[in-house]
Amino acid sequence: MTSFKLNGTPVETAADPEKPLLWVLREDFALTGTKFGCGIGSCGACTVHLDGEPVRACSLPLGAVEGADITTIEGLLADTANPVMTAWIELDVPQCGYCQCGQMMSATALIRDVPDPQDADIDEYMSGNLCRCGTYNRIRAATKRAAELNRT
Amino acid sequence: MTVVSSRRTFLKGAAASLVVPLVVPAAVRATVPADIAENAFLRLDADGLVTCILPTCEMGQGTHTGQAMILAEELGADWRTIRVEMPKQPSDPYRLPFGQMRSVGSYGIRFFHDPMRQAAARLRMILIQAGAEHLGVSATELEARDGAVVHDATGRSVPFGDLVAKASTLTVPKEPVLRPESERTLTGTNVPRLDTPAKVRAEAVYGIDVTLPDMVYGAVRLAPVFGSDVARLDPASVESLPGVLKVVQVPRGAVVVAESWWQAKRAADALDIDFTRTEHDALDQSALDALISEGLGRENVPMTLMRGDPAAALDASDHVIEADYAIPMLAHACLEPINCTASSTLERTELWTGTQGHDWIRMNLERELGITADQLTINTAFLGGGFGRKTWQHEAVQAILASRALGGRPVKVIWSREDDMAFGFYRQIMQARFRGAVDAAGRITAMSVRVAGPQMGAFLVRENNMDPFSLLGLVDTPYGIPNYAVNHAVTPVPIPLSPWRSIAGSFTGYWMESFIDELAHAAGMDPVAFRLANLPADSRAHVVLTRAAEMAKWSTPAPEGVHRGASVVGSYGSFVAQVAEIQIEDDRVRVSKVYAAIDCGRAIHPGQVETQVQGAVIDALGPTLRAKITLDQGATIQSNFTDYELVRINEAPEVQVENIETGAPLGGVGEPGVPPLAGAVCNAVFAATGRRIRSLPLADHGLA
Repeated sequence: MTSFKLNGTPVETAADPEKPLLWVLREDFALTGTKFGCGIGSCGACTVHLDGEPVRACSLPLGAVEGADITTIEGLLADTANPVMTAWIELDVPQCGYCQCGQMMSATALIRDVPDPQDADIDEYMSGNLCRCGTYNRIRAATKRAAELNRT
Repeated sequence: MTVVSSRRTFLKGAAASLVVPLVVPAAVRATVPADIAENAFLRLDADGLVTCILPTCEMGQGTHTGQAMILAEELGADWRTIRVEMPKQPSDPYRLPFGQMRSVGSYGIRFFHDPMRQAAARLRMILIQAGAEHLGVSATELEARDGAVVHDATGRSVPFGDLVAKASTLTVPKEPVLRPESERTLTGTNVPRLDTPAKVRAEAVYGIDVTLPDMVYGAVRLAPVFGSDVARLDPASVESLPGVLKVVQVPRGAVVVAESWWQAKRAADALDIDFTRTEHDALDQSALDALISEGLGRENVPMTLMRGDPAAALDASDHVIEADYAIPMLAHACLEPINCTASSTLERTELWTGTQGHDWIRMNLERELGITADQLTINTAFLGGGFGRKTWQHEAVQAILASRALGGRPVKVIWSREDDMAFGFYRQIMQARFRGAVDAAGRITAMSVRVAGPQMGAFLVRENNMDPFSLLGLVDTPYGIPNYAVNHAVTPVPIPLSPWRSIAGSFTGYWMESFIDELAHAAGMDPVAFRLANLPADSRAHVVLTRAAEMAKWSTPAPEGVHRGASVVGSYGSFVAQVAEIQIEDDRVRVSKVYAAIDCGRAIHPGQVETQVQGAVIDALGPTLRAKITLDQGATIQSNFTDYELVRINEAPEVQVENIETGAPLGGVGEPGVPPLAGAVCNAVFAATGRRIRSLPLADHGLA
């Protein structure tokens, strides 16, 4: 039995401790906002927060999150004024949208760590998140807008 | 506004809706009976919601929002009350003719714009007629606005939904009267995309997210060599692994079904399976390249386009430039891996998937499994990218066979990224030999193009070996070349191919615009000035190139260390010119900025045109810099995003886009941004280094 906190709620699961967190979230907790893209931590579609830090859920065995605090994109929804989601909607960022939950998880950590991110900060922080539709111009703008909303 | 009637509560239910046929143009219907075509429809329900059944899926291109805008504007409705849905039943009356149930060719807006307007106008006309009876005034005094029929003289109005019952008794007018241009105030503005909130809030259901009661998961183990099949399969080798429910043989391999996809995948990897040998087990990339190259010098190849006498003009010139170009195969690498969920018995099959090609699924299932259209339901989910890959869906067969092996239990088959990269449907590998001549005045006097490689669109060839999937971008060049020839030496390849965003344009644009640059250099002219001199002055290509050059301040010198390249290509009814600015740092090309001017006739949603062109530039930049698919021992070498490297945010140029409207008919938007990019970048590389890049990617030349 693995116990951890999921979006603020204590949970436990009997799933195999080797099972990647990604599949535990999607299959056992029906949280499908965390996406499967590459399975090797290369594309960032499965980005979640572990104790506040962005990690790739596809490459993280369930056993490694024992006692940890996991936040998924669904966990951000509780805050209806979430600055990242607000900015993403305001700037109409998504095209296919498949990578965007991972993008927003990375951006959330970025604007917390770097309150006024410049292009170089965004490029460094977000380059682990692949967008096949090429929405990067809008991701840059939305990240800055989210940071601005977060500051005020 | 006074609402005089609200009978919504009495009118709920299936019967309380009003249906207007959406008639697609005759040219589109091709060989199918008109009665089927006319059953695609626009429906108004008593709650005021409008549903339009169209075959265009939402894979990121924003089509549904643009279509809603066109409908809302013509009808006089709030665009947020419009829903575009895909038909579920290939055989029901609510489908487009066979062959049209697909989302390809940048069709979504340009193709359905006129039929949608006409259907919306018909609906508006009967609503106004019903409103006239309802309000007891003349129809000429009424207007359709904001989802209601409005009588401005008295300030009275009645919501569309309340007129459904009355309007249903009226005859739909044959001749729709369209709104005048002055009333088209919604299209051309940037309304928020309809699908954005759901996508941002993780509520959008992609194929891979579909969840059904009692559903289990399938992972595949397929033969690495194309054309190979199962020689020996030992299901017992994995049946005792945790969670494994069944091992099901399918064409080319097996599906392992388990309680969890992770368990299924582990078992699939461990499965004891052998594959049959094929005649291309030893095929490697150099052999494949040589196979294609043979076509460059082949004799007696039928001529597809012949204008003037290019052979004589080239012979007569003392200034002939000759160059061979090549491009490799590419994967589509949609971020959502290939997947399909099926619940199937011999009598009835239901699918849940994100697809660009209803009709291809249907055709394939009938051919491979004998499933007829009336036995099939297809639920279309959001697509996590398409780019042409999701027109072919053999994973449907895998999911169906797996579900049948479990007595109809729903099975979601998901390919791993490695499966997605390895098992094909690639952009075709092609080569070309260009010969061209310029005169002392900088005019192109002659050109011949020999294309070599597979004929991916063979099923579309009608005459003269003209395959649009191989030759568009060459046969329709906007340049005024008096003596010009194009033909195609066809060499089949034993690899499954699929249209890749912009299809032929993805390579013909690169070739032609690089070779034009070579001719400009030979003529000793500025590349933009040379192009403008050889493009008809009134052509759309001339207009967009002029504008892109202005945007990039082409006529003033670039800053120190910055080099520029230009390109202009027409495709899918639109013209796009791009100027790329690059820097070379440690022998690596960095594209810092791209200026793009597009003429797509009319920008229904300028912000979405902008973002589609930006995305197309990024999409095209990956294979310009590094991405390629190559073979070893008959199998694909690349396996994941680590060795099929695409552009990430740290390499993404700022892409500045301008819409130019020249009064041309509507063109496509999703694809036309792709073809100019590689040429613009490689022409900038030439400006920077003097090296002419005649094959992609730049990494092969030590430049990325």
